Amino acid sequence: MATTMNSLELEELESRFVVIHPLDDVPEEKVDTESLGPMAMTMSVRVSLVSLRAYLVLMVLLVMYHALDLAGLFGRHV
Amino acid sequence: MSNKVLTMPAAGAETEIMPVRGRVVKSKWTFNLLTFLMVFGPGLIVMVADNDAGAVSTYIQAGAQYGTHLLWVILLLLPVTYFIQEMVVRLGIATGKGHAAMIYQRFGKWWGLFSLADLELVNFFTLVTEFAAIDLACANLGIDPRIGVPAAAAGLITIAVTGSYRRWERMAVALCSLDLIWLYLAWKLHPPLADLGHGLIPGVPAGGLTGDLVFMVIAIIGTTVAPWQLFFQQSCIADKKLRFADVKWARLDTFLGACFTITVAGCMLIAGNYSRIHGFTFEDPAKMANNLLPLAGWFVRNALLLLMINAALLGATAISLSSAWAYGEVRGWPHSLELPFYKAKGFYGIYAFCTAVAAGVVLIPKAPLQLIILSVQVLAGVMLPSAIIFLQLLLNDRELLGAYANRPWNNAVNWTIIVVLFALSVILAAQVAAPKLFPAS
Repeated sequence: MATTMNSLELEELESRFVVIHPLDDVPEEKVDTESLGPMAMTMSVRVSLVSLRAYLVLMVLLVMYHALDLAGLFGRHV
Repeated sequence: MSNKVLTMPAAGAETEIMPVRGRVVKSKWTFNLLTFLMVFGPGLIVMVADNDAGAVSTYIQAGAQYGTHLLWVILLLLPVTYFIQEMVVRLGIATGKGHAAMIYQRFGKWWGLFSLADLELVNFFTLVTEFAAIDLACANLGIDPRIGVPAAAAGLITIAVTGSYRRWERMAVALCSLDLIWLYLAWKLHPPLADLGHGLIPGVPAGGLTGDLVFMVIAIIGTTVAPWQLFFQQSCIADKKLRFADVKWARLDTFLGACFTITVAGCMLIAGNYSRIHGFTFEDPAKMANNLLPLAGWFVRNALLLLMINAALLGATAISLSSAWAYGEVRGWPHSLELPFYKAKGFYGIYAFCTAVAAGVVLIPKAPLQLIILSVQVLAGVMLPSAIIFLQLLLNDRELLGAYANRPWNNAVNWTIIVVLFALSVILAAQVAAPKLFPAS
């Protein structure tokens, strides 16, 4: 049964533990991501993103190869 | 332990109206246990949902073709999958936001939209394969797929739109717990213990290192570490509003989930091995279940088919949710399972739309399912390395994460995993997109 806490109960609580479900708890202050803006382009970030672009280009070329292959451009399909 | 439920003002804020509901306990041990149980959920669900219909098929096929020889590959994936998802836990708790929102905010509009579009596409195609599995299992169980598939879709929509995260989570955890039946099945099929022990030692099966074996190993890795998992768990953690103090429990949840899912994957492989021992050739899991009927009985046969449906349902709800959360985050729409339908129409609309259309595609006669499966493989190959690169960069972003950023040993482990996944994804995508480049085994 839900009851409202009084000061006596609060004192009693000091020697006890209160388990609170995250959804019932007071919202916690998190990192303010919106004020941070875009990530700083350090060397490692730049290299990672360039590698990713190269990887994506390779994937697109592979898919194009497959499409052309299916169209019979590289010989007959059995 | 006291069963008293308290309603009190938020700590340190006498004037706050917002109440906090808590349960008073006397021992630290009970406090820890209850806190863990309250945090428990996202880690288990993301891991078990990863053993979706495609994974069931892949693990059973691995057992049916190579016996227990590839058990060591599955075991090796335990730390890999845990380390990747553990990063998501830290990122989700520290920012309280989903993965798609983070990519959009930190890497800009282009990368944000690219990741979102790729995720939505690969998720939709994967969703179609989940319903294809439900269709197949229903047909084999004597249920008309025209009834079974829409019923499954309606059930999936119903469990999500109740306006309660907890209700959805309880149902998802219940579906996860059904996977315990795999342990019983593996025990009932009496796997040779010596073979199991031998399978845990890294080695190449008889027949040598063939193209088919390489493809199977890549398929196992690809099905165990999926891109949607990153988006799903981070959004799930954000929706559940996990706190900084919950990090250790969320890690434990993820670790236990990883252990459970890898054990279940091993059981699936054992089921495949059983059919191999009895001389059956693998075609699909439903045919295998039928083959086993005279040998293992109706319980094993029906359990295999029902577990296939369970895997597909769990995979479908997690995948649809990851799509809906990601879309909502990027569009700035309200996106929480805690919201009633009328307050988050876009979020629930995406979830329901993906689920209903994927189910509808499966029911179209002569739908191009093979093309869809091929698209899943290629798109997942594109998605996984890029998603993990973003994850790794975000986890090294000290401005964003502070004390929760990666440590040097985290980076050493993660970059090793990334390089291996990159190489395997390239090989997989190349083999799917350009099979003529590879010699036949």
